[in-house]
Amino acid sequence: MRKSAKKDSRNAPLAAGMLTLAVGVAHTGGAAAGDIPNEEARVDVVYENATFARRDVGLSKFRNTLKIDIDRQLGRRGAFDDVGVNLKLRGTFDGVYRLNEDTYGNKAGGAVQLENTVGIPGSSVPHGGGLGSPTNPLTAGLAGLPGGGAFGFNSTDPSAPRYNPNEGLAVLGEHLHRTDGGVAFAVPVRPCDKDSRGCIKDYLDASRQELESPEFNDRWDFIREAYVTGSVPFDDGSSLFMKVGKQQVVWGRTDLFRVLDVINPVDYSRNNIYDELQDIRIPMWIMQAEYRAGATETFDDLNFAVVWNFDKFRPHNIGQCGSPNVILDAGCFMRGMKNLWDNGGTVANFANLGLPGLAATDFGPNQIGIRKAHLPSWSLSNTQLGVKLEGQKSGVGFSLNALTYRSQLPSLRGGIPARNPFDPVGAVDTQPQPHPYPYLIAFDVHFPRVNLIGGSMDLQVDSIKSVFRLEAALTEGEEFPNGLRKRLFSESRVFRYVIGWDRPTFIPFLNKTRAFLISAQLFGQHLLDHELEQRPLGKVGMPDWKDNNIFTLLFKGFYMNDRVSPQVIMAHDVKANATAIAPSIDWLFSDRLKLTVGANVKVGHGARKFDDCRTCNPFHPFSASPGQGPNDGSLGLGGFEPLGRFRAGPIGMAQQEDELQFVLQYKF
Amino acid sequence: MKMRTMTSMLLAAGAIGTAQAATEADVDKSFGPYKSGVPTVAGVKPGTVIDKSNVEAAKGALIPSMAQFIKSGQTTLAVGETYSFGISKNYIDATRKNLNKVSLGANVGDLVGFVAGRPFPQEPDAKDPRAGEKVFWNFQHNNRIGDSYTIWPWYMEYKNMASGKVERTLKQEYHIIQWKHRVDQEPRPEVEPNPSQLLRSGYLKVHEPQDLKDTQLLISRFSDDAKLDEVYLYLGFQRRVRRLASNQVTDPFLGSDLMVEDFEGYNGRMRDMKWEYKGTRDLLVPFYAHNKQKLAEEPKEADFKFIDFGGEGACFPNVTWQLRKTYVIESVPVNPDHVISKRVHYVDAETYALSLNEIYDRKGELWKTFIIAYTDSESHMPKNAGRGVAINDGFSIIDVQAKHCSTGKFKVHLDQEMSPTKLFSVQFMRGS
Repeated sequence: MRKSAKKDSRNAPLAAGMLTLAVGVAHTGGAAAGDIPNEEARVDVVYENATFARRDVGLSKFRNTLKIDIDRQLGRRGAFDDVGVNLKLRGTFDGVYRLNEDTYGNKAGGAVQLENTVGIPGSSVPHGGGLGSPTNPLTAGLAGLPGGGAFGFNSTDPSAPRYNPNEGLAVLGEHLHRTDGGVAFAVPVRPCDKDSRGCIKDYLDASRQELESPEFNDRWDFIREAYVTGSVPFDDGSSLFMKVGKQQVVWGRTDLFRVLDVINPVDYSRNNIYDELQDIRIPMWIMQAEYRAGATETFDDLNFAVVWNFDKFRPHNIGQCGSPNVILDAGCFMRGMKNLWDNGGTVANFANLGLPGLAATDFGPNQIGIRKAHLPSWSLSNTQLGVKLEGQKSGVGFSLNALTYRSQLPSLRGGIPARNPFDPVGAVDTQPQPHPYPYLIAFDVHFPRVNLIGGSMDLQVDSIKSVFRLEAALTEGEEFPNGLRKRLFSESRVFRYVIGWDRPTFIPFLNKTRAFLISAQLFGQHLLDHELEQRPLGKVGMPDWKDNNIFTLLFKGFYMNDRVSPQVIMAHDVKANATAIAPSIDWLFSDRLKLTVGANVKVGHGARKFDDCRTCNPFHPFSASPGQGPNDGSLGLGGFEPLGRFRAGPIGMAQQEDELQFVLQYKF
Repeated sequence: MKMRTMTSMLLAAGAIGTAQAATEADVDKSFGPYKSGVPTVAGVKPGTVIDKSNVEAAKGALIPSMAQFIKSGQTTLAVGETYSFGISKNYIDATRKNLNKVSLGANVGDLVGFVAGRPFPQEPDAKDPRAGEKVFWNFQHNNRIGDSYTIWPWYMEYKNMASGKVERTLKQEYHIIQWKHRVDQEPRPEVEPNPSQLLRSGYLKVHEPQDLKDTQLLISRFSDDAKLDEVYLYLGFQRRVRRLASNQVTDPFLGSDLMVEDFEGYNGRMRDMKWEYKGTRDLLVPFYAHNKQKLAEEPKEADFKFIDFGGEGACFPNVTWQLRKTYVIESVPVNPDHVISKRVHYVDAETYALSLNEIYDRKGELWKTFIIAYTDSESHMPKNAGRGVAINDGFSIIDVQAKHCSTGKFKVHLDQEMSPTKLFSVQFMRGS
């Protein structure tokens, strides 16, 4: 399961060289920004413990992090007038996988029952007990299918291939919603070294050790950042600034939302969307070259930057199923689907046998699910390139940005070759199997190329003592689930924007001498090529909202010379009608010791329903509803899984993840 | 006809500044107030230590809050010899060259015809309703930075005055550049291009403690006083530059007792205050020769020692104070919602540095005393000698209500190379 350390060894010499350069002269000292060379390096060592407790779960995080930052300013070196070397190391050990082993570790999960609204043999069946299982009395009815059909999978014989027992499992989405007549299937939840079912090679396949200590992997993530900076000055006062190495590149002017700030992927497994982006951006090997014209006759400041991300592609870490933070619960959906493809599995409430209700059905391997992830290999054409023009004019800061990159979110593309469980012998389906079937829920994972253009600006409006921050981007190439298309996905151009408003405001009865910071943001997303249709049983098309907005509000106060700082952050997803409220208080006990006590509470609507493609009729005529043609697509029967998550959003999907959070930080 | 009359009236109003033309003698007096002798006040002689036993006798030479600190035993004050700090010849020459070319406009904050040097070298006239404004224009355009300077390092400590506990220690660097009206450093008189007509910019970076590391602040003031300052803050933990609203400059700076608007005594637009000249006094102010002080052993710095602090909570600079000619100016915020009700500034007549400032809360009660310690450049580091600049050597701002103070220790470099123009851009903050 562990990936070979050889795979990315091309980065290792550079990283090791920078490590030597920075550490070789490390002392506690300082490095200034101006032309102040300092032969000493500054070294900061910080330990952090984050202990979170989740409602109805118990311990959800016991993360211990050691961070070492080393900066050294070397001054003039050759053509460069201010060379600097920066190295940031980070190592984490999250004890939750051992301390709460029953929920997140090697003992997580168990045997599960899948809903079976047909009621035969009962209102639920065990994983491996659905239609197609020898233990299910309805299986006898499949005898009339060509070759007797190919339903059923191995849930009982450890010595036979594709053994998929009813252990170490959870029902997809069970922590958030009942199955409620929809589809569901079992999801393996143990670390991939303990249970490899559903693990997607090179994507979501972490062992317990990798979940506990995610930085110690074959990408050398313990070297969080390692870069060299320097400027080449020109006679006219302009300069060429270079920054090369493993780094974070931050575009845009907004908090929380990633409209332009999309160059680095993000590790959502660390704490969903709630950690500072600095801590969850995944640094990449990048070269930045920025021509700094400085003030010109027209602009107060003008700069042109080229950003070349030459690192091997990395997607977002969306969280592996079975770990505490699985954004949108997508990692569980994907792990369950991968298990369905590899080993088969029981799908709740699936088959319409002409009886009242629907029968939980045992699919065999290679019939439905996720086959594999196509992670772009390293090649020049797979690198990512951005340009940015940034400046100041008449009190307005602005940027124009363009980027061609790979989507860091997975796109599930249907149309892969699969097997027809109704007709395994090809009696009706005359093409040799496997072959693609329209509207079949069998996918490969892709990370398509996306092109982005956008811009940002900030301006001060003194009449209301406020600063406004604006950011907008238009992308093309993003892919979305779409039940109206035969491969169950389609592209859409997406327009995203953020309007941010910051206002320091005195509230004398709370603090006579210090203003509170009120910062509000409106994030909007508009899918320009959105498709949605009303079908007989419900809406079919793209589950993502065509237009949606999320409001955020930060209210932050400061007391005792800013050593005590309470704050509340709220985020409300308008269409999902889901809200997250995160009050916290920072107490800076000394320059070395900081304590943060907080909570993260969600209110509003949780899971949402959408067409689940049970009525997609991929195996015509066997899977057809009365009157349904071979390429008619879904009739719109839906449930919570699997696509409701795109309507519920990251806040709605985390409704059951209320937490109390304690963070202690100590600087040595 | 009517228009012509109105124009004449406006010109008359605008001519207040030139109504009493300055003379060469005014210039000589302005830059050499001690040529004909130093001030004297009974009971205040070099070598005297003023404490609660003799403070009553020296009260006439003390600002009210300092008298109170001494009376209550919170500090003592050692009197040093008064001497001329000496001002840059280039600055004096620019004053002479541009004499009487400058005038006040119709509104507070409008300065017409200013080129370089001291705009109004004549003595303030108590009968002149805009005398306070003129004195403060002289402060705004004084030669306190020698066109650019760097403070590196700048140690700032937050202290509990009652217990003496140091709550926080920050290590920072600070750079200032004068974009226009330059007299000492090339390019003169202006750094070009300067499309927005910036007047002055300050760039600050925090190095310690770890939680504030890499925080950066950029403040730019425009030549046109009507324009709002542009303030940008880079937060290291966010790696993002945030533009600050103008009223954020009255928040405690990084949690200290100092607000950005307090920097150097007053760091804001002229038109945001009503200025009133309250008279001229001979006062004890923290002006001294750095190398003749008992300096601190910590923090250690190569070839330099910082000034020390003592008194209650170590909130008072341990330097000698000299009796100097001082203009008293009161500034009242135009905005009634401002966090303070007024400041009283004590402006040094030779250098126009603001070494003492008393800040009153919204109820009109004394809130803070801001002491800025100045040394002459001859008595500072050898590389600063000959520059004719009163060097800001450290400060203490004491919150008398909260019994809390923030103190600063500066190592100032009058070194143009250390403050290149590239520092003063938002992009530099992003890229660093």
